[in-house]
Amino acid sequence: MTALITFDHATLGYGRRVVLSDLTFDIPEGDFLGLVGPNGAGKTTILRAILGSLDPLQGSVSITPGLRFGYVPQRDSVDYNFPLKVVDVVLMGRYDRVGLGRRPTAKDRALACTALEHVGILDLAERPLNALSGGQKQRALIARALVGDPTVLILDEPTNGMDLVSTTQILGLVRELHERDNLTVLMVSHALNEVANYVNRIALVVERGFRIGTVGEIMTEQTLSHMYGIPVDVDEMHGHRIVVARRNGQQVVGARPHA
Amino acid sequence: MLSAALLFKDALYGALIISVVCAALGVYVVLRRIVFVGAAIAQLSSMGIALALFMSGMGWLTGMTAHPVAFSLAFAMAGAVFFGLGGGARAGVPPDATIGVTYAVAAALGILLISKAASGEAHDIFLQGNILGITRGDVWVLLGVSIPVLLIHLVFYKEFLFVSFDRETARTLGYNVTWWNLLLYFTLGVVIAFAMQFAGVMLVFNFLVLPAVTGMLVARSMQGIFVVALVAAVIAAFVGFSLSVPFDLPSGPAIIAVSGVLALLGSGARRLQRR
Repeated sequence: MTALITFDHATLGYGRRVVLSDLTFDIPEGDFLGLVGPNGAGKTTILRAILGSLDPLQGSVSITPGLRFGYVPQRDSVDYNFPLKVVDVVLMGRYDRVGLGRRPTAKDRALACTALEHVGILDLAERPLNALSGGQKQRALIARALVGDPTVLILDEPTNGMDLVSTTQILGLVRELHERDNLTVLMVSHALNEVANYVNRIALVVERGFRIGTVGEIMTEQTLSHMYGIPVDVDEMHGHRIVVARRNGQQVVGARPHA
Repeated sequence: MLSAALLFKDALYGALIISVVCAALGVYVVLRRIVFVGAAIAQLSSMGIALALFMSGMGWLTGMTAHPVAFSLAFAMAGAVFFGLGGGARAGVPPDATIGVTYAVAAALGILLISKAASGEAHDIFLQGNILGITRGDVWVLLGVSIPVLLIHLVFYKEFLFVSFDRETARTLGYNVTWWNLLLYFTLGVVIAFAMQFAGVMLVFNFLVLPAVTGMLVARSMQGIFVVALVAAVIAAFVGFSLSVPFDLPSGPAIIAVSGVLALLGSGARRLQRR
């Protein structure tokens, strides 16, 4: 499959500070990749390199020309002080197409409603965004990302701070969008257990360490113990993989030092 | 009461123009939680006026100091660019502390300079502005500044809203967030600099905050907040000014008192809406 995004021996960082070095991988069309790791490990740095707001210190990050990203930011990065209706927030996903200084048309509004219907909250279109639950807000932000007709959907910690039911529903929705629309998805998360059961591949980022592979390749006790630096068990229950750190686990000999 | 106020028609027009343009920008100031950035820029701007009056009294650069607005504008723009670029964040100082330092230092330096200014009325102008001193020429200047600023905000409403509401996503859609922020702060700096010389720190700060707060209390949409803020600002300017003339009250505090009453009424209306 065609690679949409390619990292070629890319070293990423800020100024003289290297966060991740010598990254080589690609994200092919139709992939569902989970970018997983603890806070501060470098997930956001990789995301910035993909979105073009951070140039690699060495190597290259290539993006297929004409690629459109549908970006779903962390829910709390949005300012809910602004009293905006859900449909008006979704319309923002078309602002770059509407053009500078112009107002969205009836067609844009119709597309926003279609996107809301796609994520199952069309009935909330006229409600204020700040009156919605966490899961509903996330759906509205996903609808905004979809209304721009993206090639790649990028979600930054979409289930952060959500309860079990909302988490399951949001991850189910993203999986459905991937399968139904053959949408390429990159999902950033610190919650390995959540992501592992929905994505096709996992890119695991720990402090100065990076490993990418299929879920089967990454979700092994040997790989995870080595990457996280503590002994972990990987069990399976009803077809779901579950990672559990061993209680009183000692540092794994030869493992990467944990952050 | 009205007839007495109409004796100072130009002053009333000036107050109304200042109220409208400050209230419109004030919606962003309040919603973006940069209220004290507005205060700090106003204080920097007033320090510019104080410097001009001080230099004028000393007989320095008399050609330039005859136009205090040039100094006011220079200091306001420096503040706008500083805060628009994230002021002090790179030096590891928390943003609110940077604002506090700017406000305190600018206020202190302004008072020190004005205390040594030769002009007798300089101190009052520095503190309260001089609304009654607005001439027909000043009204045209204020209109000349306010109309382009309001047009910029009308035309680019969508862009200002997007970068204020969700800068991360705006950036991914190709918006130059830094540039839009700078434009917002630039318009804020220009308006504050020109309004300052007539209205003073206190009244400019009032128009940047209280009408928008009243709007937030009463309205449930962005358009609603703008409409209520503008109406509240115009009512406060008109009623405050009209009361101040016959009762021989200082105009600025009278206008602020009316703004406060309107905000209280807005708070009452909000409680009624919740029932």
